[in-house]
Amino acid sequence: MSKRIVVDPITRIEGHLRIDVEVDGGKVTKAWSSGQMWRGIENILIGRDPREAWLFTQRFCGVCTTVHAIASVRAVENAVQVEIPLNAQLIRNLILAAHAMHDHIVHFFHLSALDWVDVVSALDADPKATAKLAQSLSPWPRNSIQELTAVKDRLGGFVARGQLGIFANGYWGHEAMKLPPEVNLLGVHHYLQALDYQRKANQVVAILGGKTPNIQNLAVGGVANAINLDNQSTINMTTLFNIKNLLDEMTDFVKNVYLTDVCAIGAMYPDWLGYGAGVVNYLAVPDLPTDAAGTKFDLPGGTIMDGDLGTYKAITSFEDKYFADNIVEGISHSWYEGDRELHPYEGTTIPKYTEFQDDGKYSWIKSPRFQDRVMQVGPLAQVLVGAVSGHEPTARWLKFATDLAGSVAGIPIKTEMLHSTLGRHLARAVRTAVICEKAQEHWKLLVDNIASGDTDTFNEPTFSGLQMGYGFHEAPRGTLSHFVVIENGKIKNYQAVVPSTWNAGPRDAKNRPGPYEASLVGNPIADPERPLEVLRTIHSFDPCIACAVHTLDVEGNEIGSVRTL
Amino acid sequence: MNPDNNLTASVGVFGLGNVLMGDDALGPTVIAHLLAGFDFPPEVHVEDLGPPGLDLHPHLADLDALILIDVVKAKGEPGELRLYSKEEILQHAPGPRVSPHDPGVKESLLALQFAGNDPEEILLVGVIPDRIDYEIGLSPRIREALPAVEKAVLEGLSRFGRQATVREPRLSADIWWENEGR
Repeated sequence: MSKRIVVDPITRIEGHLRIDVEVDGGKVTKAWSSGQMWRGIENILIGRDPREAWLFTQRFCGVCTTVHAIASVRAVENAVQVEIPLNAQLIRNLILAAHAMHDHIVHFFHLSALDWVDVVSALDADPKATAKLAQSLSPWPRNSIQELTAVKDRLGGFVARGQLGIFANGYWGHEAMKLPPEVNLLGVHHYLQALDYQRKANQVVAILGGKTPNIQNLAVGGVANAINLDNQSTINMTTLFNIKNLLDEMTDFVKNVYLTDVCAIGAMYPDWLGYGAGVVNYLAVPDLPTDAAGTKFDLPGGTIMDGDLGTYKAITSFEDKYFADNIVEGISHSWYEGDRELHPYEGTTIPKYTEFQDDGKYSWIKSPRFQDRVMQVGPLAQVLVGAVSGHEPTARWLKFATDLAGSVAGIPIKTEMLHSTLGRHLARAVRTAVICEKAQEHWKLLVDNIASGDTDTFNEPTFSGLQMGYGFHEAPRGTLSHFVVIENGKIKNYQAVVPSTWNAGPRDAKNRPGPYEASLVGNPIADPERPLEVLRTIHSFDPCIACAVHTLDVEGNEIGSVRTL
Repeated sequence: MNPDNNLTASVGVFGLGNVLMGDDALGPTVIAHLLAGFDFPPEVHVEDLGPPGLDLHPHLADLDALILIDVVKAKGEPGELRLYSKEEILQHAPGPRVSPHDPGVKESLLALQFAGNDPEEILLVGVIPDRIDYEIGLSPRIREALPAVEKAVLEGLSRFGRQATVREPRLSADIWWENEGR
């Protein structure tokens, strides 16, 4: 008999992502992904000055602030056709790259590793054997027996006092947890180190952006940073070398800890290369522009259809019509008025709430489609597009990762196995390594450009009549695009199509499920009361849904987010 | 914390919340008023952090003392103040998370506690909200509570051994999100 499981973190008055699955014979047979909060935030922008839109859009979400700021200035710049100085492009790129490093490290170590790492089991680990294992994976110097012993003791102390603290609600001892104690200890050890390293990435964003979260240095037409190598209060050599040092440290951590951990942990769950493929149409846009006009990029974009790399088609510039002309958003299963599919320029966000209807409307998220197809966005799309387009660093780091994971697993890991829950984790780590390398290169490009005497950072935009444009950014979670219609210098319409809309969207008018929904079907469920496998697949996308609100619930007991019906 | 020593250790005064969501803007609004009205010692960091989820913890690591300002879910009337200590904040464990957007305060503090660099003392100045929805501006009862919130923050700061100095004249608070388009 089939059983319904609802994962609905009711931790706040507004709710956010709710996942429903039907389980039969120990496997997911049907799934629903529902955004539990209205996403009509764009309406706040109507009537405002487009030069200030980014200040508001970066408040859409408390975590993805930077990416919404960048997409917004790019959209308005596209609408008014202003090019930005090369320095501005490169400074933005460094901010984006550092933000992505930060985001991916947090995602793996702090938001998803504990789906695979059993913290309590780490207490049975032998620190000496753990150190030996770690040294076989990478030359990272902070994997000594002493350090690992200290972490084990610390964890033991917490457990002995009955205070698991941050780890209190994990699925410890779950039968789907398969790692040996030594790998679990290594995971806990790096969880702690990752807390330090993500701070360093944050510092890069703060140095260039003025503060983080919510950077202050953007402007439609460039950046507000002044460059003067002889001035203490502007970007100068000291600032630049501080950034370089932080990037070096981050790169070291990503290559020697994050990437190798994902490979080693993933290799011990080879089954998960067979679950979670879901939608195998992929979309990524190019990013890290290297010229003022946004026609050359250091990270490639494009589409892949039906899981067939031979169908690759490139997206080549900020102006590429292949991207902008092929997107519509449907609302037939979303809580909005109507059931039409509209281009984002024409999109509306008029709420019409019903209850949760399995076959009707059940989500606040819309269903974006590209050329009438459901698309998956995110690191897997980025890496597959990179590999097929001949992007050398992507191909090189992908080979490094699949070779390492394959040697630990004892099976060759082929590209087609990447269409999976584990594939998304591997791809994210590969992408982070690529971004580290590119950040170093863009730092050099910036220093060289400044050394050549160019200190420009801003071009004045001009507004007149009707101006329409879009801006995209290949954010950590995937393709983010903002669409703006400006009339006489005021915003007339604004729509944001965010990565989690692509991935978390509900069924469409043809009843085709979104990527989250499709990826859950076929997943094993060992224990319906503790649906760890559902979390594994959903977390592999790095969901980011309720981009808006949080009310602290200090007095409430926030447990009880899994219901079995 | 003994206010007599360790004066260089830092103190965070952080407003949390989304400025586009009605009363959720409380934290950022209070920060704007504090920055306009007072000078703070250099080791006191006064900042609007939005609703950063787990990204809160880089800001909390290695702080000596922490004051958070936020709307809170609690029994009572909108606009009423609720003060919480570190023990009260951490007495209930956070639930399993699906997205990075859960408030993140408990999780950030617990992660730092495990790492051994969490703030020793914490004061959460909470206000029960009235309306949280996509609209800009605080509802009247929350706005009326602002002076009391400011007072609670300054008292907390002084309890943590730091004094803010009144600016003369007081600047006007930069609450840019409440401005109409140009």
